[in-house]
Amino acid sequence: MFRDKRKASDFSAEIEAHIQHESERLQEQGLGEKEARAAARRSFGNVMQAEEHLYESGRWLWWDHLRQDLRFGLRMLGRNPGFTVTVVLTLALSIGANTAIFSIVNTLLLKSLPYSHPERMGTIYTRVTGPVGSDERHHLNGEQWELLRDNVPALISAVSGIRASGVNLEAGSRVQYVHAGRISAHYLDVLAIHPIIGRNFSDAEDRPHGPKTAILNYSLWRNAWGANPNILGQAVLLKGEPYAVIGVLPEGAIIPLNADLYTALQPSRQGEGTGTNFEAITRLRDGATWQEADAEINRAWSLRTHRYELEKNPGAHAMYYSVSLQKGETATLRPQVLTLMLAAGFILLIACANLAGLTLVRVLRRTPEIATRLALGASRWQIQKQLWVENLLLAFAGGIAGIAVGLVALRGLLLLLPEHFLPGADVSLDGRVLAFTLFVSLLTSALFGMLPALTTREFDLRSTIGSRHSTGGDRLRLRQALIMTEVALTVVLLAASGLLVRTLIHLQTLPPGFNPTGVMTARASLDNVRYHDASAFRKLLNKSLATMREIPGVQYAAVGLSLPYERALNAGGIAISDGKEAGQKVMADEVYTTPDYFAALQIPVLTGRSFTEADGPDTQRVAIVNQMFVRKFFHDANAVGRYLDKDTMIVGVVENVAMAPGIDPVAPLTSEETMYVPPAQMEARQLSLLHVWFQPSWIVRTSGPVEGLTAQMQRALASADPNLPCSGFYSMRDLLAKTLATQRVEVALLSAMTALALLLSAVGIFALIANIVAQKTREIGIRLALGSTIRQAMIHTGAPGVRASALGLILGLILCTGALRAMHSVLYGIGVYDVPALATVVLTLGLVTLLATILPTLKIAKIDPAKTLREE
Amino acid sequence: MSTQETRERLELLQGTLDLLILRTLIFGSQHGQGIARAIQQTSEEELLVEHGALYPALQRLEERGWISAKWGTSANNRKARFYSLTAAGRKQLVKETAKWKRLAAAIGRILDPAKEG
Repeated sequence: MFRDKRKASDFSAEIEAHIQHESERLQEQGLGEKEARAAARRSFGNVMQAEEHLYESGRWLWWDHLRQDLRFGLRMLGRNPGFTVTVVLTLALSIGANTAIFSIVNTLLLKSLPYSHPERMGTIYTRVTGPVGSDERHHLNGEQWELLRDNVPALISAVSGIRASGVNLEAGSRVQYVHAGRISAHYLDVLAIHPIIGRNFSDAEDRPHGPKTAILNYSLWRNAWGANPNILGQAVLLKGEPYAVIGVLPEGAIIPLNADLYTALQPSRQGEGTGTNFEAITRLRDGATWQEADAEINRAWSLRTHRYELEKNPGAHAMYYSVSLQKGETATLRPQVLTLMLAAGFILLIACANLAGLTLVRVLRRTPEIATRLALGASRWQIQKQLWVENLLLAFAGGIAGIAVGLVALRGLLLLLPEHFLPGADVSLDGRVLAFTLFVSLLTSALFGMLPALTTREFDLRSTIGSRHSTGGDRLRLRQALIMTEVALTVVLLAASGLLVRTLIHLQTLPPGFNPTGVMTARASLDNVRYHDASAFRKLLNKSLATMREIPGVQYAAVGLSLPYERALNAGGIAISDGKEAGQKVMADEVYTTPDYFAALQIPVLTGRSFTEADGPDTQRVAIVNQMFVRKFFHDANAVGRYLDKDTMIVGVVENVAMAPGIDPVAPLTSEETMYVPPAQMEARQLSLLHVWFQPSWIVRTSGPVEGLTAQMQRALASADPNLPCSGFYSMRDLLAKTLATQRVEVALLSAMTALALLLSAVGIFALIANIVAQKTREIGIRLALGSTIRQAMIHTGAPGVRASALGLILGLILCTGALRAMHSVLYGIGVYDVPALATVVLTLGLVTLLATILPTLKIAKIDPAKTLREE
Repeated sequence: MSTQETRERLELLQGTLDLLILRTLIFGSQHGQGIARAIQQTSEEELLVEHGALYPALQRLEERGWISAKWGTSANNRKARFYSLTAAGRKQLVKETAKWKRLAAAIGRILDPAKEG
């Protein structure tokens, strides 16, 4: 391309040579030198024109023109800073919102997991077809795990505990509360993670009663042992027992089950393996295919004796299939993230509608300039090109500002998200995100540039150049349509976030069934050999509670395995032993509670009694159930005096409390059928298993604020066991906030976007009316002169904005009827067509419309009829 | 060019200049003025080559790769840009010649039908 380029000077030299030749020839024919030269020139025609011709055929011309257009465009934008700043700001906000949300989508759904060959990693879904269908990732029980491990050679499989739990780590003289995850052998092989020092768990270590070993994560190793490489082989006291450290994970290793250290899961069909308490991950072996793996899984699992997934579902059929680990790990977040992406897309459309309106007005204002350029010989194509170049300039400026806004928004977003909300890698602006932003910028410029570009095609040169006034009145309808569209989209967003806000309010103000104020709780891990002995456990409870009760200001102190707002232990196979329901086995939450638990939380005892100190290990086994339990299993009949599990008598019925669901996840907070038992009557074997999963809470109720309460609670606990660190202190408000974290994030994000949409719509209406006022100053002046009041003039001028907004509102509400139904699954306690939410939408929009309409029309009061008429 | 102005010459039809340039170059390389002279002389002074149009045409042909150019010295010892036919240009010439002959014959048949019978 460059080689062929011929310089203009070379061309001039050739023409000069030609004229020389020609004049010499003419001189030979007898002309004088001067005359011959003149004749040669004459016969050549216009030398300049020929040179120009050559120049224009040069291939780099478009670049010259582009540079020219760019220069001109920049000048035009610089001359109108208000317009430029508005457009760039609008773009920055809308593109920034999209960039931030897309970064999350990218991390969650598009970027590969940070492991080698992530496409060969998977997890297993269960699809149940029959009367009650489902299609989801199931946890495995011990039998499933053994079959998967032994009978599916196509996969390297591994399991882990469902979540990490708090344990006490004693290193030297210090006791630390850390999170321990339990993983099977080959778990790290599936992830293809190799310890930086040491090794992974061996099969022998993963067998029940195998040697006790631990693998540390990098930051625990660095913080607790100063990255000492001699840690290997050393014993650390974990749960009161020595565990040999066999490895340290590399820095920044990402493990789906996030924890400070890992111990071998030692899964079997016994103990926790009787229930579905394992989570599986798999890696396809070299040479195997997913089809083979799935066939092997189906063969292995359909031969089981106990197929829990088909229970209470007669005629149902289950099949199992592998899905990518990425999909499995992000399944719960996917719909929420995609909803946010959709909302961000709405923002972009609203912004484009606004910008289309703005640029349209601008082009119409430039009618005289464009007409002059057309008259001077510019082609329509050149005019169009100029307009597009200006749009692109704006879009790119907006895109760059948008990346900056996106970065800031993303940082805020990540702060807002609960820790480890996003599984896997860090969220960053990578090439894909930048490409997305570039694409969005181009898209916006195309969307908002199209309308004005189309209008220039209809220019009538003669009429536009003849009249002094810019035309534009006839574009009012078009602009109204734009406003209507953006208002409609805003209404959908408003309604959606309104419903989410109402859901959050509903959940937060849900009658909790207890009194959360004035309660402080502390949690400690009892997953410790010292407390595998039931009497030691009882002594700990008694002593610590007695000391806590002595703290001045404390009214009640109690211990419970779990608290309201939390997820409780799900116990299956509770047998109802008498009455007409005798023989029925039911599932309920099971919580052990000391006598003052109900008094401390002020959970009303409805009938019967609460536990007392007399309910000891050697007395009648007792239980208290909640109302939900009575309703569900005893059909509201009197439950006191009935028996469960043969020998356990129900002595009381208490009010339901709000808790995180475990049995049947219908809402983030729910009332589940619950059975309370005294800890003194728990068997040692049961306790040691429960304490692997749950860390019990010490609860105190105080009459008012108590100075240094947490320190005193800590001392009380230490007086009973100096080696028992607290995991921290939580008020019931903290727990509620933690349970509703997802809802809060949803509300915060969608509300932020809705506010942005509302702002953009308001700006759009404002711009429309302000423009009408500016254009019609003369007309308004005449009206005022003819006796119209200022109020009438304001109404007359503002009406188009109000009308467009009202139509948009109606259109939006119609859209809502379809769009909001998709939100059904995230709404709790309210219907999709929630009247207060929709009424608020209408009111908010009405208010914003009025404000955006009235503000620019206030200018009318300043119009002096006499002056405007004289100016004409 | 007072001596030639006695007779009114024909203006070139659109598109024929390219063909004539290619045809002229078949006898060897030639500079712009030489090409113009050659066309005028060969057509027995019937055709007028607008010199201003000649160079853009040469430029165009060069870009298409039908002719190539090189600076050299002319017979009367002047520097000039010499054009010569490329292989692609030769092929183009054959094609264009055939096309032109067909066109001329067709126009001839319409204008003078009797001759064809």
